[in-house]
Amino acid sequence: MVSTDVTARPAAPVLPRASAAARPRRGTNLTLGESGLARVLALLALAVSAVLWLLPLAWALLTAFKSEQDASDPVDWFWPKHGWTLDGFTTVVERGALPLWMLNSLLIAGAVTAVTVLVSAMAGYAFSRTLFAGRRGLFALTVAAVLVPPQMLIVPWFQQMLTLGIADTYAAVILPQTVAPVMVFILKKHFDSLPRELEEAARIDGAGHWRIFWSVLLPLSRPMLAAVAIFVFIGAWNNFLWPFVSTSDPALMTLPVGITSVKDAYGVQYAQTMASAVLAALPLVAVFVFFQRHIVKSVATTGLGGQ
Amino acid sequence: MPASPPSSARSNGPGLSRRRMLTATAASAAALLGAGALSGCGSALAADDDTVRLWDLFSGADGGLLNTMVDEAAPDMPGTRIERTVLEWGTPYYTKLAMASAGGRGPDVAVSHMSRLAGYAPSGLLDPWDTSLLEEFGLGREDFTDAVWQRTQFEGRTYAVPLDTHPFIVFFHPGPTADAGLLTKDGTLDTDAFSSPDSFLEAGRELAKASGGQGIAFGYVTDTAQGWRLFYGLYRQTGGRFDLPEGGPAEVDEDRMAEVIAFMAKLVDGTVNPRQLDYASGIAAFTNRQTAMILSGEWELGTYRTADKDVGAAPFPTVFGTPAVYADAHSFVLPRKPDADPGHRRRTHQAVAALLKAGQTWATAGHIPSYGPVTRTKDYRALQPQAHYVQAQEHVVLDPAVWFAGAGSDFQNAMSQVLQQALLDGLAPDRAARAMVRRLNTFLSKPSPA
Amino acid sequence: MSSPHASPRTAPPVRRFLPPGLLFALPFLVLFGVFMVWPLAQGLWMSLTDASFSAHAPAFVGLDNFTEAFGDAEMWRGLWHTVWFTLLSTVPLVLVALGMALLVHTGLPGQWVWRLAFFAPYLLPVGVVSLLWIWLYQPDLGLYNHLLRAVGLDGVAWLSDESVAMYAIVLATLWWTVGFNFLLFLAALQAVPDHLYEAAAIDGAGAWRRLWSITLPQLGRITAVVTVLQILASLKVFEQVYLLTKGGPDNSTRPILEYMYDVGFTGYRLGYASAISYIFFVLVLLASAVQIVALRRKEK
Repeated sequence: MVSTDVTARPAAPVLPRASAAARPRRGTNLTLGESGLARVLALLALAVSAVLWLLPLAWALLTAFKSEQDASDPVDWFWPKHGWTLDGFTTVVERGALPLWMLNSLLIAGAVTAVTVLVSAMAGYAFSRTLFAGRRGLFALTVAAVLVPPQMLIVPWFQQMLTLGIADTYAAVILPQTVAPVMVFILKKHFDSLPRELEEAARIDGAGHWRIFWSVLLPLSRPMLAAVAIFVFIGAWNNFLWPFVSTSDPALMTLPVGITSVKDAYGVQYAQTMASAVLAALPLVAVFVFFQRHIVKSVATTGLGGQ
Repeated sequence: MPASPPSSARSNGPGLSRRRMLTATAASAAALLGAGALSGCGSALAADDDTVRLWDLFSGADGGLLNTMVDEAAPDMPGTRIERTVLEWGTPYYTKLAMASAGGRGPDVAVSHMSRLAGYAPSGLLDPWDTSLLEEFGLGREDFTDAVWQRTQFEGRTYAVPLDTHPFIVFFHPGPTADAGLLTKDGTLDTDAFSSPDSFLEAGRELAKASGGQGIAFGYVTDTAQGWRLFYGLYRQTGGRFDLPEGGPAEVDEDRMAEVIAFMAKLVDGTVNPRQLDYASGIAAFTNRQTAMILSGEWELGTYRTADKDVGAAPFPTVFGTPAVYADAHSFVLPRKPDADPGHRRRTHQAVAALLKAGQTWATAGHIPSYGPVTRTKDYRALQPQAHYVQAQEHVVLDPAVWFAGAGSDFQNAMSQVLQQALLDGLAPDRAARAMVRRLNTFLSKPSPA
Repeated sequence: MSSPHASPRTAPPVRRFLPPGLLFALPFLVLFGVFMVWPLAQGLWMSLTDASFSAHAPAFVGLDNFTEAFGDAEMWRGLWHTVWFTLLSTVPLVLVALGMALLVHTGLPGQWVWRLAFFAPYLLPVGVVSLLWIWLYQPDLGLYNHLLRAVGLDGVAWLSDESVAMYAIVLATLWWTVGFNFLLFLAALQAVPDHLYEAAAIDGAGAWRRLWSITLPQLGRITAVVTVLQILASLKVFEQVYLLTKGGPDNSTRPILEYMYDVGFTGYRLGYASAISYIFFVLVLLASAVQIVALRRKEK
């Protein structure tokens, strides 16, 4: 049970107000006081750091829209002599396996998320709402497993995939990623916090465990499940080490693995490299732009239990 | 304990429509997934009967040439398609290849440096070639030189089909080299003028005078192999022992190692030849004619010829008495497949034979085709400067045949790092030699995985 | 109405439904058993053998792998690089995140942009991050050396100079992951009750006073927690190092996890790699234990 302290405590005080984004100006007077100077300085500091943080992304975009020749021009390194072009993008899409890797990433991260959320929610329910022999021991084991860094398991996992005869398949990439003791823990705590009245009513109506779980608790837990799902998805989408170790067939690679392992027969092409980086970055950044609030909330609620 | 409710309970109006949007996105993602799974299969199972899946590490000019070769080989392998996958060159390539082979799900055929065979074949990661099949498609033992063929063998079986030899040689700009009086009448390099450490350094001084800049370029700083390539070729010229018995210790001649290192350090001390060049700046120094000569792998021929269409080349001169030229060789290997289909294996043999016969194309990049019938043609002899260093393959030395050595290995890197300390940071030659031996012994002390 | 007959010692009241809830836990337990418990056990077993990629059956070698590891200079170097990276990265990853959160929390206009700028990099796959930073750090054509030269300085061999490479990796990591800690701090800031500030305003406290006497004291706990999480995350460093420098130059940035990877998959020595993975595990457990004790003391 050692780890409960690390993971459990933070949850309470840090939850963002769901409405925080709705009234963004909330703190200005409260934290900065009435001082105009403080406000200007703070704004300046914000602007400078935002520029520093956006610079690498801007540089990638800049390169991606150049021709190869302009991308490696040591003199006119900022503004392209021969104008902007989409060549980098069209080349990587047409010639490379990039679209395929993107679908692989989507498929694998989607499957990992679906399995992890369902399985963890069921286990969370079992640990929160049911009694069976060994329940406490198994839960303690689950909590302790939070301390196991998955990275240390790659060698035995690799061996295991050979033993199971599923080396270099989607299953090999997906299955080990679905074991998420942290999520079980978070969801168990979450179920613990839900009031029991509704289940009581359902039970009187003769509902079994499955119906209570599926029709009563899960609908109540949608925001929490979404938070967990988003977190798991980001993790799986960005996961590198295990997908890298478990796939040799380029047709099975995920985006992060593919773009770093498979090269172009025509050598290092910076514009193309950046074009594929931009394309690889796009999906999650786009999702973030549209669902910023959900993602922020997901990280804040799940993140402290995670890592 | 008030865990999560505040946030989760407060999912109000706008949240709903967002959630609907999320659902829609999820639905379309699901649709995509269906497509993805299908196209994924399409490609993964591209091991249709007529496709031979090849892994290689050729990008850049070599990569383009291999594409051409694949096209040219088509008539010799009717009905077969070669599907290339270019993986990142170096250690990761061999790691991936080993991992794929361990799983028995590797490609049908892969390119491997011959220097890596010692780490692969004994571990059971490769399947042997069927020499009678190769013979049937026109590749026989007599088509390869002894020095090369011998390295394809392990326990009496053939584990590699050599594609090329790529030696470490010298390139020069003919103009300044002639001015320095270092060319013979027929325009080839006067290697006698390089036949001892002192005369080599003297030739460098002459070349520097003639070029108006500096003499001989050698790019090695932070490189993971260059130092070792130069060192090992020169060391083998001394005739010194380099025996690496399993378990160690290494049986080598430290004095001769120190002698070679001292020579290398003088060569790049910055007086007549540039100091402190990394790989790319070495090439740049030569191509923009700051130097008249460069010590380099022949695989950069294309780069040099773009800068100087008359660029000359010669096998690495014999500086220490015994002719020896450091080289490696690309070869085709069969990653382990416990349940390989014989028909498909046959097709793979045929495809590899077809590629070898298209070796003339490969030779334009500078590599010496291993398949003898190619180098014996008139066309090949007309290739300049390739024909001037083809004899290098008579005296090639590859990395020691131990499991931890070879192209892209940690071993080459470790040796190159020590050499860099001697060449750049002033580590004394004898101490550098001892440091190399220490590192060698560390490698030897590790049990072979085989 | 919470249940009166909950099992005596569990905190959450538990319903005694008869059908075994084991069924509900089963899918997780199966996955947990197969992909966590089994590999953990198998890894431990392999660490006692000379298992390798080759066909021969692994032989039991006792503690040889561990003996070898403790005498292996490269193992110690890897361990040190991991610890060094953790020391170098944790401080800026906590402080910069805190600074960003404080600035954004002032409620100045452009909230959406600030959050995007600071958090977006965290959403990038490490493969993208490394391609991007290799290009930024490219000695001749990269942005940073262009900028250095523009102000009259010499370019830096960011990733190939032993004395710089580790810092370059830390910088890239800071850029990549600081957004995560930033969000945690931001959430904590939003939970600071308004009335504290209102009271301060009535007292006439200026911006600095409010920062020092209200905001920062309120953040004590979350700072401790973020630091703990960051240390644990930094100890697991592997991917960005592997992709940016391959652990070089001359293994001067190779963390212990990469050494494990190299030994296992590049050197084929799975048994020895397993032993190293258990040494790494002990490091993580030690770090966790120290932190739990420290946090607990802080609580009191």
